[in-house]
Amino acid sequence: MSKSAANAENIAKQQGAKKSFIGSLFGHQESGLILVIILMALGLTLYGAARPVDSRQEIILPDSARVILLDAQGESHEPGTIARTKIATYRVESDGATTDYSASKINKFDSTTGTLYARNTINPFLNKSNLVLVTKDASFFAIIAVGMTGVIILAGIDLSVGSIYGLSAIVGAMAVQSFGPDASWMLVVPVALLVCIAVGTLCGFANGAMSVGLGVHPFVITLGMMAALRGLTVVIPQEFYGTQSIGGFPSSFTTGFFKAEFYGVYPVPVIIMVLTAIAGWFVLSRTVFGRRIFAIGGNEVAAKYAGIPVGKVKILVYTITGALCGLSACAYLGYYGAAETNAGNAYELQVIAATVIGGASLMGGRGTVIGAVLGAIIIQLINNTLIIFEVDTSYNQIVMGAAIIIAVVIDQTKQRIQARRA
Amino acid sequence: MPSTTQPILIANNISKRFGNTQALKDVSVSFLPGEVHALMGENGAGKSTLGKVIAGLHAQDSGQVELDGKKLIQGSLDDAFHAGIRIVHQELAQCPNLSVAENLCLHDIPKRGFSVDFAEMIRRAKDLVHQLDPTLDVSKPLGYLSPGRRQICQIAASLDRDKNGQANAKVIVFDEPTSSLSISEASRLMEITRELADRGLTIIYVSHRMSEIFTCCDRVSVLRDGIFVATNVVAEIDEPTLVQQMIGRRLKTPRAKGESTTPLQSSDNTEADTIRALVAPDNTTEPNYETSPALTLTNVSSPNKLSDCSLKLYPGEILGIGGLVGAGRSELFDAIFGTDKRVTGSIRVGAQEIAGKGTKAAIKAGVGIGYVPEDRRNQGLFFNLGIDENILAPIMPELSGAFGIRKLSNELDLVTSRVERFQIKTASLRQTHPGELSGGNQQKLLIARWMSDRTKVLLLDEPTRGIDVGTKSEIYRLINQAADEGLAILLVSSEMPELLALSDRILVMGEGKIKGELAGKSMTQTNILTLATNEDLVIN
Repeated sequence: MSKSAANAENIAKQQGAKKSFIGSLFGHQESGLILVIILMALGLTLYGAARPVDSRQEIILPDSARVILLDAQGESHEPGTIARTKIATYRVESDGATTDYSASKINKFDSTTGTLYARNTINPFLNKSNLVLVTKDASFFAIIAVGMTGVIILAGIDLSVGSIYGLSAIVGAMAVQSFGPDASWMLVVPVALLVCIAVGTLCGFANGAMSVGLGVHPFVITLGMMAALRGLTVVIPQEFYGTQSIGGFPSSFTTGFFKAEFYGVYPVPVIIMVLTAIAGWFVLSRTVFGRRIFAIGGNEVAAKYAGIPVGKVKILVYTITGALCGLSACAYLGYYGAAETNAGNAYELQVIAATVIGGASLMGGRGTVIGAVLGAIIIQLINNTLIIFEVDTSYNQIVMGAAIIIAVVIDQTKQRIQARRA
Repeated sequence: MPSTTQPILIANNISKRFGNTQALKDVSVSFLPGEVHALMGENGAGKSTLGKVIAGLHAQDSGQVELDGKKLIQGSLDDAFHAGIRIVHQELAQCPNLSVAENLCLHDIPKRGFSVDFAEMIRRAKDLVHQLDPTLDVSKPLGYLSPGRRQICQIAASLDRDKNGQANAKVIVFDEPTSSLSISEASRLMEITRELADRGLTIIYVSHRMSEIFTCCDRVSVLRDGIFVATNVVAEIDEPTLVQQMIGRRLKTPRAKGESTTPLQSSDNTEADTIRALVAPDNTTEPNYETSPALTLTNVSSPNKLSDCSLKLYPGEILGIGGLVGAGRSELFDAIFGTDKRVTGSIRVGAQEIAGKGTKAAIKAGVGIGYVPEDRRNQGLFFNLGIDENILAPIMPELSGAFGIRKLSNELDLVTSRVERFQIKTASLRQTHPGELSGGNQQKLLIARWMSDRTKVLLLDEPTRGIDVGTKSEIYRLINQAADEGLAILLVSSEMPELLALSDRILVMGEGKIKGELAGKSMTQTNILTLATNEDLVIN
């Protein structure tokens, strides 16, 4: 069996042969997305550096402080006796200590209140709060996109995610509100999560069970569910509260948990997104269930003949997607402190767009969770770009539509080139 | 018969490269009017590529194709079509949702005013199809037909005629035309091939079925690794020489039956003997009929598919299932494997009853049924996944830990050993996708998926369809070896010699019933056909 040995050796050699670092970087499906994000971030940073915006920062002076204005020759002046353009230095004397502020750093001195205003300009893109804001906005639908990736890999579709999200938020809001304003987060957070996720799970299971059990294409089932669940979302608060929104949550649920502040930013939704993405990546690539999703999406008939329980896997994927809608809705409740009946309106489009920009094929069999999350971030970066460029947000949809088409065309071209090379 | 007339079609110094593969290297072949000219070679030899270059499906890198002295535009299907060249594809490319008639008239749908003239369409379609199969209903959706009949429709499409009833086609390229046909359909096709040639058409017959070459071809050109080897007059050549030209080495033939290597016509079972000798020179070990059967079917029926099928399959036995396309052979497999849930009757593996309990019951440990379906492209392989996961699909749960978390090292061990045992030629286990493998290696991959210790009963449906001679004999050896190790195998094959050579017994099916059993000396092609059709049908 020398031939066999040679064959095995050959395989071992191939397995052992590590691609170069750069090669493996470009080999990954996500590398293009990361490149796009880096380029966009770079562009926005440069643009922001060229056109910084003022941030009003007050320098609080102690009561005993005395401000002397020095001109270019170093001569002292009392405030109000010198033109602002001639001031070179603001000297603050307080308790014997002297601090000099260069005029380029100071916007003005208000002598009546004794306040110095710093000329502290910041980069509108590259600052802590903007970056967290972009990822936070992305995170609500990126969490759902993790589940949608599974659905799309199955060659399915779920149009009802926005409505499931809305319904979970409304029902969850009712539960959270009932605790009163002073409940402990130890109680509220688990109950809120449980209620939201339970609602989402039920809806997702209904999607999967109906499309598998009745043998109807999921497009039709989830289209119907999208309308019906949105209707429920509107009807429930109307019947019970007569309003369009439910709020008044205990602060332990909002600022105490989902909108907790760390170092001046509110990162909890982003953290949830990252954890969900890691879990999603693990499930899709490292579990039997995940690989079965790919198998079914690649060739459903073959999956059946390989003994894979096709129906069960499909139902589970839709159920998980529903559950993730619930999780995302819970984060939304806690972050914004209220649920609106139009929460998650048109989310299905953003979620599917994120998945598709992330490299998932609507034909099934291909897609990654990391790609979907990066896709969601790209969508939010586009949003952010328009805000920084001070373009009317109505233009958003035009740009996003174009971005989706361009992303898919580029991806398919790449696939075709790779297929030809193979 | 071909005479010493001028060639009608000349392929001159054709070269064609796909990526890193030189599919054709400076190949020149000329074709005479009215001849059936076979292009032979192993898979990847370039025979199909040459056929496609001639038909304008592929653009050659250099060289020309000349029809009647006129150079054809390279890679122009349109130019080739108008010049009178037709091609019948290896892979069926049709619209299953449309009727047969619509499929046949797709390039030129007859109209009356602004609406489609359905009557005319059906008339035209009948005119074409009924040359091959007078019983075919052309208004049926194509997808309802068996693969065999679909292929017939496609062949019929190339028989279009002009207003005077003259065939428009001068040259028809048949690319593996019989690979999905049943025996009777294949023999009918060969008759038609001869008929068309007698009308003056040139048939380019791409095939690697030896018996067909000797049955219906006048000349045969052999290609090997993209290089032209020789053009032979069929009457002046024998099978071993041809095989030698194809694979560049001589296949082992049984010494005792040295003289029986002459073409198929002379004797019914010669080719089967060749296979048998190739696979197990020292005669296969007999299955043990004393033990309890591995698989017992009692009165298994399924609405409109099977009626009252009973059989016993013993450990170590290869039980062949013969019959024509549509006889219910694949349906029987679906019943056993649990993909058909409307099954009644009893299916027992050992002592366990699995009838109607679904696929999960059929493949679970302790039962261990494996199924290699007939259509590896559509029913077998995952083209989006690597070689490893294609093998692992049914057993991944058993190799994994808690919560179905994969244990990659377990998986790698298993895949490596299977790939080694089956000698699947692949660049990598994880990165290579089945689409990058040759047909033979794809098939080995599919068989490797099921051949493990836990599999007790293996269902093989057309295990060597569309693969080359060398890989075929490898697969035969693997099947035989597995049976010797105690695996019980049900084998469906439309290739008679293969069925006869591998099987210990043969059950013949027809119309969803088991029509009879053949064993020992009674296992002959004629007997199988007689049972299958219930009439005296003889090839040749």
